Amino acid sequence: MTLPDSRFLPAPLWVITALHIVTLSLHFAAMNFVLGGTLIILTGRFKRRWENPTVRRFLALFPSAMAATVTLGVAPLLFLQLVYPRQMYSAAIVSGWFFLLVIPAVMGAYYLFYAASFSGKEAASSPARFLWPALCGLLYVSLVYSSVFSMAEHPDLIHRLYAQKQTGWQWNPDAGNYLLRWLHMILGAVAVGAYFVGLLGKDDPETFPVAKRLFGYGMAGAAASGFAYFASLKEILVGLMRTPAIWALFVGVLLSLGSLHFFFVRRFFYSGLALLVSLVLMVTARQELRVLRLQGQFDPASWRIAPQWFPFLLFLVCFAGAAILIVYMIRLFFRSHPDSL
Amino acid sequence: MHYPFWELPIGYGVLMASAAVLHVFISHFAIGGGFFLVVMERAARKAADTARIEFLEKLSRFFVLATLVMGSLTGVGIWFVIGLLNPAATAVLIHNFVWGWAIEWTFFLVEILAAILYYYGWKRMSPANHMIMGWIYFVFAWLSLFVINGIITFMLTPGAWLVTGNIWDGFFNPTFWPSLVLRSAIAVMLAGVYALLIASRCQPEAFKVRMVRQTAGWGLLGLAAALPSLYWYWRAIPSTITAAALQGLPTPMRALQYSFWSAGALAVLLILFGLIVPRRLHLSLAVVIMVAGLGWFGSFEWFRESIRKPFVIEGYMYGNAVEVRDADTYKKDGYLSQIAYRSGDDGADLFRHACGSCHTLQGYKALKPAFDGTDRAFIAAMVQSVHLLRGNMPPFLGTASEAYAIATYLEAKLDPRPLSVIYGLQGAKLGEKVFQIRCGKCHPMGSPHDKTSELAGLSPQDYQELLNNAAGLGPGMPAFTGDETERSALIAYFQTLKTGGGK
Repeated sequence: MTLPDSRFLPAPLWVITALHIVTLSLHFAAMNFVLGGTLIILTGRFKRRWENPTVRRFLALFPSAMAATVTLGVAPLLFLQLVYPRQMYSAAIVSGWFFLLVIPAVMGAYYLFYAASFSGKEAASSPARFLWPALCGLLYVSLVYSSVFSMAEHPDLIHRLYAQKQTGWQWNPDAGNYLLRWLHMILGAVAVGAYFVGLLGKDDPETFPVAKRLFGYGMAGAAASGFAYFASLKEILVGLMRTPAIWALFVGVLLSLGSLHFFFVRRFFYSGLALLVSLVLMVTARQELRVLRLQGQFDPASWRIAPQWFPFLLFLVCFAGAAILIVYMIRLFFRSHPDSL
Repeated sequence: MHYPFWELPIGYGVLMASAAVLHVFISHFAIGGGFFLVVMERAARKAADTARIEFLEKLSRFFVLATLVMGSLTGVGIWFVIGLLNPAATAVLIHNFVWGWAIEWTFFLVEILAAILYYYGWKRMSPANHMIMGWIYFVFAWLSLFVINGIITFMLTPGAWLVTGNIWDGFFNPTFWPSLVLRSAIAVMLAGVYALLIASRCQPEAFKVRMVRQTAGWGLLGLAAALPSLYWYWRAIPSTITAAALQGLPTPMRALQYSFWSAGALAVLLILFGLIVPRRLHLSLAVVIMVAGLGWFGSFEWFRESIRKPFVIEGYMYGNAVEVRDADTYKKDGYLSQIAYRSGDDGADLFRHACGSCHTLQGYKALKPAFDGTDRAFIAAMVQSVHLLRGNMPPFLGTASEAYAIATYLEAKLDPRPLSVIYGLQGAKLGEKVFQIRCGKCHPMGSPHDKTSELAGLSPQDYQELLNNAAGLGPGMPAFTGDETERSALIAYFQTLKTGGGK
């Protein structure tokens, strides 16, 4: 009996890549709300911080936003594992313990956000004591992901690290390859978080200036670290220049600046749209960079394609159905009581 | 072989079990609990029973905190763990069922949002809208189970997929429906059992009695539905697998036995403290009931995992990630040529990839105590005939020199002293130990491979001859390589055996 060969992609590569990019962008949007929001709530210049209505709204929203972050993070990882299983798993195994500790870190942060949302306004029960450790947890998770996914693009490094130690305690030592990118991501999260702070606190004379300032600083910091990372790519940069990714980056930067402008003039819809599209473009460029880094070692186009069209169609129908149902549920909730949340 | 191997001192089984058990307990509760909440809410609203509505609101807070956070993250945790421990099997599942997972993800999105809005909506939404939210939550939680059930059951009974490679053959496999019914029943049972925790603390007493009776009824209803579906599930497993388990696999049968005991204990406790004397049900007793419920469910999961051995995907991939279709390649070229990530120590690499996914040296399923005091030749022989042990071990498909490399690696980690010194035994007692270590791995007493009745009553010369020619006695039999003391002790032990088997 000839057994089935499971080494195939169940849809054309571009479909899976597109799904990865879209879902990862959604994950980033939710994650930036939580990470950037937490950073701003903790460090922004608010007078009576825990009595500020925008801060209170953020505290109430954090657990749900965390749920969205986790849930939206599942799909991009799934599509990434589908195309890059050997690179992805190998890097994760070499850093096994660090990778696995992501789960308790996220779980801890999640519960801490709940604790913060349940805490009172008094100084004695300040939510800060929950938010700071939650923030540390999130920073840990983001750093581990940056380290592992960067390692996944360097199979030689994985081989070298594995030969040294097989215990799963290997941290990616090639910090030059991911620290700047990580910093870019954190500062970008501050900018996006500030956008949400400004959106929720647009009518609050104290909150909006804080959001404006941090949006500006976050954007400037993200741009500086992004360009520094870009410059550090060296020979890869030449390759990147020859791909459409460079245009994605260029338009992404323009849209980010546009988003800043719209935010300052309180055109929140356009600002948010520009921010989201720029996020999608950045993720697209990041995907192209992965392909370039792996050039000569792994070509994702080498997969045998054996499409499962009907299940794929079913997924699209379910996805659309879920989107409609989500809108329906939110309307149902707010129609019942428009001021809730 | 294409991935690095994570050397985990606690053993893969322990890590997998701790991640999986926690998740299945919570995820099934998430389904049954959703059903419980919305059905109870409907009844409470109809009867305008505000006390019961308050009870349900309290329960929903516990429910959301337990299921949203723990449920979703332990689910991701399992996914992380299987990817780290058996990336090859995970890749097979993802490549075949990615759209199944993606569909489940869309259900999960709806489920999570519905749970959040249901929890926040108690006082903010109209009763009708609130219940719509509850029903949406339950339906989508159950649909998640529907999808995941197809992938889990595929691992034990891939059915016609092994021939066709068709995703639907793999998904709607022979155990799909019985498992779905069984898991749905378990979800209802767990809802009742978890709700008892809250019900046991209700006040005033008359209300508590009512709540305890209702929630215990759920537990019993789920249990009553689960037991016949477990039988259906058992019958749906191909007889080749169940027959092998009945004949020689102690672990799944022990798990099944535990599950029956736990189910019995659960039924008695639920009837006694749930229905007959509900007043007496305190929190501590509710915890005991919950432990019995989880014990029952946990035993079933243990059974399901262990009966699948030596495969991780029945008939397709062994537990050590060796694909059956690649067997000829391994036999021809050996394992080493296929191991992508090397540590520089061939013996260690071979041990990790051939044995390490189930065994550790000193932790879970430890090999050191099993081989202490033995020698390289014996270990190499055992490695090569490992599939003959109890039927739950994958065959060693590498070359003879690779088996020897594993033996060399293991021998260096073992206690080199003779068995008589290690265990401080002499005579027939030492012989019994020698038997356990050198013979009992394949011929445990009371098993179908028990040879004690054939050994009983022979002369010392016969025993000497037997040991001299041990390697020729049958396929996979190792030569006797123990020292003279062990040989004499073993013969002394043989002489204590009674005709008819045993000692």
